[in-house]
Amino acid sequence: WTIHVSVFQVVMKIIKHYQEEGQGSEVVQGVLLGLVVEDRLEITNCFPFPQHTEDDADFDEVQYQMEMMRSLRHVNIDHLHVGWYQSTFYGSFVSRALLDSQFSYQHAIEESVVLIYDPIKTAQGSLCLKAYRLTPKLMEICREKDFSADGLKKASVGYENMFEEVPIVIKNSHLINVLLWELEDKSTAADKHELLNLSSSTHLEKSLQMLMDRVDEMSQDINNCLFFIPLQYIQRRQQENAQRQSRGEPPLPEEDLSKMFKPPQPPPRMDTLLIASQLSTYCQTIKEFTSQNLGKLFMAEALQGTSSYS
Amino acid sequence: MSRFFATGSDSESEESSSADEITPKATGTTFNKPALLLSDDEEDTKRVVRSAKDKRFEELTNIIKTIRNAMKIRDMSKCLEEFEQLYRAFLKSKTIVDKEGVPQFYIRLLADLEDYLNQLWEDKEGKKKMNKNNAKALSTLRQKIRKYNKDFETEIASYKEVLNSSTNVISLCRCQDEESESDDDEDSEDWGSDSVDSGGESEDNEGAAASLAVVFLKKYKDGRRKRHKKIEQVEEEVDEDGEAEEGGWEKVKGGVPLVKEKPKMFAKGTEINSAVVIKKLTEILQARGKKGTDRAAQIELLHALSGISNENNLGQGILVKIKFNIIASLYDYNTNLAAFMKPEMWKKCLECIDELLDILFENNNIFIGENIAEDSENLAISDQPFRVRGCILTLVERMDEEFTKIMQNTDPHSQEYVDNLKDEGRVCGIIDRLLQYLESKGSTEEVCRIYLRRIMHTYYKFDYKAHRRSLGLQGETKSEQDQEESEGEDSAIIMDRLCKFIYAKDRTDRIRTCAILCHIYHHALHSRWYQARDLMLMSHLQDNIQHADPPVQILYNRTMVQLGICAFRQGMIKDAHNALLDIQSSGRAKELLGQGLLMRNMQERNAEQEKIEKRRQVPFHMHINLELLECVYLVSAMLLEIPYMAAHEFDARRRMISKQFHHQLRVGERQPLLGPPESMREHVVAASKAMKMGDWRTCHSFIINEKMNSKVWDLFPETQCVREMLVRKIQEESLRTYLFTYSSVYDSISMETLSEMFELELPTVHSIISKMIINEELMASLDQPTQTVVMHRTEPTSLQNMALQLAEKLGGLVENNERVFDLKQGVYGGYFNRGTRTRP
Repeated sequence: WTIHVSVFQVVMKIIKHYQEEGQGSEVVQGVLLGLVVEDRLEITNCFPFPQHTEDDADFDEVQYQMEMMRSLRHVNIDHLHVGWYQSTFYGSFVSRALLDSQFSYQHAIEESVVLIYDPIKTAQGSLCLKAYRLTPKLMEICREKDFSADGLKKASVGYENMFEEVPIVIKNSHLINVLLWELEDKSTAADKHELLNLSSSTHLEKSLQMLMDRVDEMSQDINNCLFFIPLQYIQRRQQENAQRQSRGEPPLPEEDLSKMFKPPQPPPRMDTLLIASQLSTYCQTIKEFTSQNLGKLFMAEALQGTSSYS
Repeated sequence: MSRFFATGSDSESEESSSADEITPKATGTTFNKPALLLSDDEEDTKRVVRSAKDKRFEELTNIIKTIRNAMKIRDMSKCLEEFEQLYRAFLKSKTIVDKEGVPQFYIRLLADLEDYLNQLWEDKEGKKKMNKNNAKALSTLRQKIRKYNKDFETEIASYKEVLNSSTNVISLCRCQDEESESDDDEDSEDWGSDSVDSGGESEDNEGAAASLAVVFLKKYKDGRRKRHKKIEQVEEEVDEDGEAEEGGWEKVKGGVPLVKEKPKMFAKGTEINSAVVIKKLTEILQARGKKGTDRAAQIELLHALSGISNENNLGQGILVKIKFNIIASLYDYNTNLAAFMKPEMWKKCLECIDELLDILFENNNIFIGENIAEDSENLAISDQPFRVRGCILTLVERMDEEFTKIMQNTDPHSQEYVDNLKDEGRVCGIIDRLLQYLESKGSTEEVCRIYLRRIMHTYYKFDYKAHRRSLGLQGETKSEQDQEESEGEDSAIIMDRLCKFIYAKDRTDRIRTCAILCHIYHHALHSRWYQARDLMLMSHLQDNIQHADPPVQILYNRTMVQLGICAFRQGMIKDAHNALLDIQSSGRAKELLGQGLLMRNMQERNAEQEKIEKRRQVPFHMHINLELLECVYLVSAMLLEIPYMAAHEFDARRRMISKQFHHQLRVGERQPLLGPPESMREHVVAASKAMKMGDWRTCHSFIINEKMNSKVWDLFPETQCVREMLVRKIQEESLRTYLFTYSSVYDSISMETLSEMFELELPTVHSIISKMIINEELMASLDQPTQTVVMHRTEPTSLQNMALQLAEKLGGLVENNERVFDLKQGVYGGYFNRGTRTRP
C-alpha cells in the first residue's frame, strides 16, 4: 500500500486552504478524491469543507459534498471519495472526533485515508504531510462499540497499534517537474535558509506545553479509575475482617459487595487510549524535531569552528 | 382658683415625687387591699381601654409641644406646618374627642396660639424683620386659626375668662409649663400623658355636666390639703376621713409621694422600729419572683421603705439591706434576659449603687458578704458592727452587664448612643470606687473580679494623654482642662498593675485569660509590639484558645487583630500578615470579632442561637474598624506576595501566601473595563499591579492618596510614621520584584541606577541585594569596585523550567498509575517488585 499524491492538485490546495482559512490553532478540513490503482491509492484532487459559521446552522454538508462531486465529475475529474484531510496544530490531531469520522469513512469506503497536514513544520522548511488509517483491530472494536477495558484487552489494541501510517509518494506530472527544475535554477540560496533555522525553544516550549496538558488529562483519567471502585467501603470491610480475625470469627464474605453495590459503569477506556496515542505522537514529533535540531547545531558548530580557523 | 393652675401644680408634684406612672392606678384600685398582691389582669383591662385615647392624646401633646417650641423661637413656617398636623391628628382622634370632650390642653393651645398670633400681627416692627417665608406663614396661620377657633368659641371663652381672673397665677403656671417642656423628653411626655389622664378621669368621676373648672378647683384644694399633710406627716395624725378622701383623689393624681404610702405599710400608730421594718421588708421580698407581683410597685415600696427607715434613723444596716434589695429588684424588673433596662430604671440603678457605696464608705463598721447567713445578719444593733447579707460586687457586675446590654441595643449611629455612652464615665466611676472599697475589705478573688471589670473598661481605649506626653507635646499652650486631664496615671501603668495582680493572685483560669488578652490588646493598641508579642507567646493562648467559651474567643480574636495591626504599624509586615491570616481567611471577620451577625439561612442557625449570638456582640464603641483591618491585611499580603510571585514565576508548585489577596486580584482581572480605583480593595489591586511591574511610584500613589488616607490611614494615631514606613516598604519590595522579574534581561546592573530608580540609599540597595543573594533568590554577585550586580544566569530558561515541570508531572502520573496497579494487586509497589522478581 502506498499513496500517491499529486502536488499540484492536492498538496498545494491543502496548503492554500490552510493559509486562507486556518488561523493559529484552528483546524481546516476537506475531502480527498482519487481512485485505487492496483496496490496504490492515488489521490488526484481535493476540495475543502466550507468553514462553519453560527448563522447557517442548517447548512447541509452532505448535500454540499454531493453537489461538489457531481460538479467535478462534469469537468471530468476523478470523483471517487477516498478520504479526507485535516490540518493540525503542533501535531495534536488524535482525538475522539478524528477517530469517529475516520471510522465512518473507513466503514463506508474501505480504502479511505486521512491526510494530516502540519502547517507549522511546513513553515520551518520541510513539508509535513502524513496519511493514517485505522488498524483492522481498532475497526473491529469501533464496529462493536465495546470500549471497556476487557474488550480492548481481548482485541489487544494498545496505543501503539491504533493507527497505521501509510507511506506517501508525491507525484508530479513531467511538465511540472520541468518547471520546478527551472525554478530551482533561478532561486537563490537564501530561500532555503529556513531549513537551517537554529532557534528551537519556542517550538519546543509549545510542544512541551501540549504534552503537559495531555499528561494532566491522563492523571485525571487515572484518578477517575481509582475512585470508581467503592474504595472506602472495601477498606472498611478489610478492617472489619482484620478485627474479626483477631477475635477468631470467620471473615465476612467478599461476594456480597457486588450485590450491595450495583457494579458501576466502568469508565470507558477509549479516551485514555486516545490520550496515550496522542502522547506518543507528541513524543515522536519532539524526538524528530530535537534530533534534526541537534544535527543542525552540530553543523553550525562545525561551521563556526572552520570559520575560526580560517 | 383656676383649673389650669391645678394642672400645673399637678405636674409639679408629679415631678417632685419622680414616681413612674404605672403605680398610681395600681394603688388606686387596690387601695384597701394590702397593696402588694394585685392581679395583673385587672390592671391590664384597664389599660387596654385607655391606650387608644392615650395614644391619640400623646400624639396631640407632642405636636403641641413642638408648636410651643416654634412659638418660642418665632418660627412661623414651622408653626404653620405643625398646626396643620395638629389639625389632622385632632380629626383622627375625633371619635375619642366625641366621647371624652375636647381636651383641656388642646383648647389652651388654641387660645394661646391665637393670642400669640394676634400679638405678632400687631407688632409691625417685628413683622418687618421677619423673613418672607415666615411673614407669609404668619398671615396664613392667623387666618386659619381664626376660622378654626370659631368651632371652639365657647371653650376658649371660658378659658379666657379664667385666664383673666388669675393672670398672675397663669403666668406662674406658664413658666412651669415651659420649664417642664424644656426638660428632657421623657419628663415632658410624662407630664403630657398625666395631664390628659387627669382631664379624662376627672370627667369620668364627675360626669360631663360638671364644669371642668370646678373639678380642677376641687382638685387644687385637695392638692393644698395634701401639701399641708406633708408637713404634718411626722406626727402621723391622719384621720380616717382624710385618708379616704386622699384615696379618692389619689386615683386622679399622678405620682404618689413616697411618704404617702407609709400608712399602707404600717398600721396607724405602729411604732416604727427596725424590727417592724425588717418584717415588712421580708414581707415584700417574699412576693418577689411570684407570679402576679407587680415589679414596678415592689420597687416603689422598697423605695418607700428606705425613706421610712431613713426618717426614723433606723441605722445604716437596714438602709444598706434595703438598698441591696432595691437594686436587685431593679434588675428583676425585666424578666426577659435579652431585654435591656429602660433609661429611667438605669438612672435609678446607678443612683442607688452610688448611694450604697456612699454609705459603705462612710460607715466602716458595715460588713457585707454573700456568705453571711440570713439569720446571722446584724442590721439593727448599732454598737456591734453591722453584718448584711449581699454582694455589692455582683450587683456592680450586673450593672456593667446591663450597661453593655443597653449599648448593644442602641442604634450606634444615633444621638441616643452618644448620650448612653456618656454614662460610661459613671459606670467606670462606680467600678473605681468599688475597687477602692474592695481593695481594703474584699477577698483576693473579689479584688480580681473587680480588677477585671476595671481592665475591661480600660483596655480598648487609646490613652491620648499618655501618647501626647510621650511625644513631649505637653507645653504651656495647653488649656487648663487639658492640664487637668493629663494628670493621673497612664492607663498603661494601671493596666500593668491590675493585670500583674491578677496573674499572681487569680485562681480561676478565665479571669487570668481575659486579663492577659486585655493586657496584650492594650500593649498592641499603644504600639508596644514586643511586649504584646512576648506576652502572647508566653501565655500559650494560641494553643488552647479553642477550648475557651465564645466571649473569650471573641476577645482573643480582637486581640490577635489588634496585634496584627500593631505589627503593621511597626513595619513588621510578615508578623502582621500572620496575625491577621486566621481572621481574614475565613471571610467571617465580622462574626469572629463579635461586630455583627452574618446573614445566614435559618437552617444553620435557629432563632435561639441567633439570640445568643446577639448577646455576645461587642458594643459599637469598642469595634475595630473592619475596613482598616482588611486594608492592613491586603497591603501586607501585597508586600509579601508580589515579590514572591515574581520570584517563583515558573515554579509549578508555587504556594499562595494569601488566598484572599489572590481572590481580590482575580476579581480585579475579571473586570472587563478597568476604571480608576474606587474602593479600598480596588486601590490595593491597582497598587499590586503596579508593583508587579516594579513601578513603585504608581504603587505608592495608589496606596497613599487622599481617598485611602481618609478611609484607612488617618485612623492610626501615628499616621505620619505609618505612611513613611509604608512608602519605604513599597520601595524595597518593588526593588525586589523588579530584580526578580527583569534580572534575566540584564547582564549587570549598577546599584547606583537602582538606588536612583527606587529612591533608596545605596547602602539599603546593597543590603537588599546582598540578602537576596544570600538567600539564593537571585543568582548574581556583587562587583565591589564598580558597584554593580553581575547576573550569573544560572536560572533555568523557561524551556528548562517547562521540562522540569513536565518531569514532575510525569512523576505524579507514574505514582498514580502504580496506585491503580496496587489496588488490583493488593500489594504496594507491586509493579516494581514484579519487575525485580522476573529479573534473574
